[in-house]
Amino acid sequence: MKKTICLPPLTMPEKMVRTLLFFFIIGWSLLHPHVSAASEGSVLDRIGIATAPYDNSAVDSVQPITEETVAAKERNQGGTFKILARKKNIERYPCSSCHNGKPVAARDGEALTHGSVSIDHGREGSSLSCIDCHHRDDKDFLEDKKGQKIDFDHSYLLCGQCHFRQKRDWLGGAHGKRVTYWAGARVVYNCTTCHNPHAPRFAKRFPATYSPPSE
Amino acid sequence: MSNRKKTDDAPGNDTTLPVQNSRRNFLKGLSIAAAACSASLATGCLPTTARAAESGEQFALQWQEYFKKHYRLMTQKEKDETVARLERQAKLQSGLDLQISTQAPRENVLYGYAFNITRCEGFMECVAACIKENNLDRKAKTQYIRVFEMEPGQLDPGTGDGKYFHEVPVDNKFYMAVQCFHCEKAPCIKACPTKATWREPDGIVVVDYDWCIGCRYCQAACPYFGRRFNWAKPSIPKEEINRKQHYLGNRIRPMGKMEKCTFCIQRTREGKLPACVEACPTGSRVFGNLLDPESEIRFVLKNKKVFRMKEDLGTDPKFWYFID
Ligand code: HEC
Ligand code: HEC
Ligand code: HEC
Ligand code: HEC
Repeated sequence: MKKTICLPPLTMPEKMVRTLLFFFIIGWSLLHPHVSAASEGSVLDRIGIATAPYDNSAVDSVQPITEETVAAKERNQGGTFKILARKKNIERYPCSSCHNGKPVAARDGEALTHGSVSIDHGREGSSLSCIDCHHRDDKDFLEDKKGQKIDFDHSYLLCGQCHFRQKRDWLGGAHGKRVTYWAGARVVYNCTTCHNPHAPRFAKRFPATYSPPSE
Repeated sequence: MSNRKKTDDAPGNDTTLPVQNSRRNFLKGLSIAAAACSASLATGCLPTTARAAESGEQFALQWQEYFKKHYRLMTQKEKDETVARLERQAKLQSGLDLQISTQAPRENVLYGYAFNITRCEGFMECVAACIKENNLDRKAKTQYIRVFEMEPGQLDPGTGDGKYFHEVPVDNKFYMAVQCFHCEKAPCIKACPTKATWREPDGIVVVDYDWCIGCRYCQAACPYFGRRFNWAKPSIPKEEINRKQHYLGNRIRPMGKMEKCTFCIQRTREGKLPACVEACPTGSRVFGNLLDPESEIRFVLKNKKVFRMKEDLGTDPKFWYFID
């Protein structure tokens, strides 16, 4: 923690100026009016009385984000919001180019099927299967528990069926994250922007940097 | 599928930046140039060669910078003038085109921060992003954020490992980051003899780097190890310098000054998230307007188990930790 301060030797004029400066500053800080901040009282007090929604459009420097977004099909405490779209990121979409009713001939093995998809999702011994999530007949869609189609951009509707708490936190803002801005219209990451639905746990890896010992 | 960006710690050629506003340099310049220059300034007859004109301009800029006011006592016009001088100095000395903002706090905004200790995986993307965004000294490895690898059940970072470098997350450990908490009743502000550090109306605790005398009283007063001291001229590879700066934020600090996290004032006052929040791949970091009942940060405070560090000290930080 401790370190000695080594100042370079001062020349005579420097010393004089520094001394003068010192008295100047002390005098100044005694004399000049106390510019106090807007509020007193604790943060929690201030939060407690702040009940009017903030006009997020007041921050005029907010730009539209560059990634593609869609309006979420659910609302949160602030009303409607947007999410990052997904379909563009799915290389094989539309899936109906192969899954088109005709039997898909698995001639080319891995390249043609989905050898890269391996499921590590669910409780040990009872992994989820493809049709727990994907629509049985129309592969361009996911499927909810009632057999209704879910668009790939709205996979949070699928995940939320089994992960109720995470979905609620995601809606409110305690799970997942916003894109770029705290102000302006709310845009958040989709569940699958972060999680691979087939193996949703984050992979271990090395940190981006390290910290030197502290002072 | 995962959206994580890799951050390369480019070693690169460290060009040491000339300090923009060093009183020492000024004083050196003074003794040499005093006779010639003050005469020419006084009589108004400017040196003839371009080089001399440039050094004359630099001298005039340093002179004016040296006697400028405390930021809080400046009019907008004076702020604009000092910014123009600083930008011009950077141009003359290092050929850099800076944009230094003096964006004022926004009304009805009080910034707050929450950190999810169950979610953080210790990837340290936040630290890497902070270094770049805030023009931190690469050579001294200054970092505003520290991430600790913690044993379950412990909540004091003093017990954690702040120097880990191995694959993360380690099973049965959790991660906790510490930075300036922007206390409402900040001990560092009281400790400063020159009033060079204060709390802005939007809650951000800032430093006027040109008013700081580097006495480090604030560092001693901070119970959270939130403040950093510039032991040397900051060295940053020129191409990595973030040119979008704020007077009270990431503009390059001279040697011998105090600095710290400013919630990325240059970003947040433009509506953006701090760099650490934007960089976090796990969503452990929540930032927003405490005065907005619809904000994410308010959702966390209302619905999650939150705590603040060393709350009993009465510092009233605007930085909460929470667990799922
Ligand atoms: C290049 C052709 C091709 C494309 C494009 C394609 N698939 Fe497949 N898919 C196959 C083949 C071949 C099989 C294995 C044969 C079978 O079981 O019908 C298969 C099997 C599957 C299965 C398991 C079979 C089942 O019904 O349980 C799922 C689920 C699936 N694909 C989903 C998708 C989704 C979702 C997309 C779009 C993102 C997609 N596929 C795009 C060729 C393709
Ligand atoms: C937990 C639900 C779930 C299960 C189980 C699941 N998928 Fe998926 N799958 C998804 C979601 C959601 C997406 C869209 C991902 C995105 O947004 O990028 C997807 C995308 C895909 C894609 C296109 C993207 C890619 O990775 O190539 C294919 C192909 C696919 N699934 C095949 C399968 C197959 C085959 C199975 C069974 C072995 C399966 N899925 C099991 C939810 C699931
Ligand atoms: C059919 C139910 C179901 C659906 C739909 C579902 N999951 Fe899961 N998920 C599970 C189960 C079961 C587990 C294991 C939970 C446990 O171990 O407690 C799990 C575990 C997880 C985990 C923790 C993984 C770990 O190893 O720690 C994540 C993350 C996750 N799911 C994300 C998602 C995402 C994202 C989606 C949507 C694409 C989704 N899940 C859809 C049932 C589901
Ligand atoms: C910003 C990225 C991000 C987004 C967006 C995100 N998650 Fe997560 N989620 C995480 C991280 C990080 C973890 C910790 C997981 C781990 O250890 O692998 C996690 C953990 C989980 C878990 C495991 C249990 C837990 O709480 O730790 C589930 C289930 C889960 N997420 C579901 C979801 C669902 C459902 C959505 C969308 C509604 C979602 N996540 C959106 C980053 C995200």
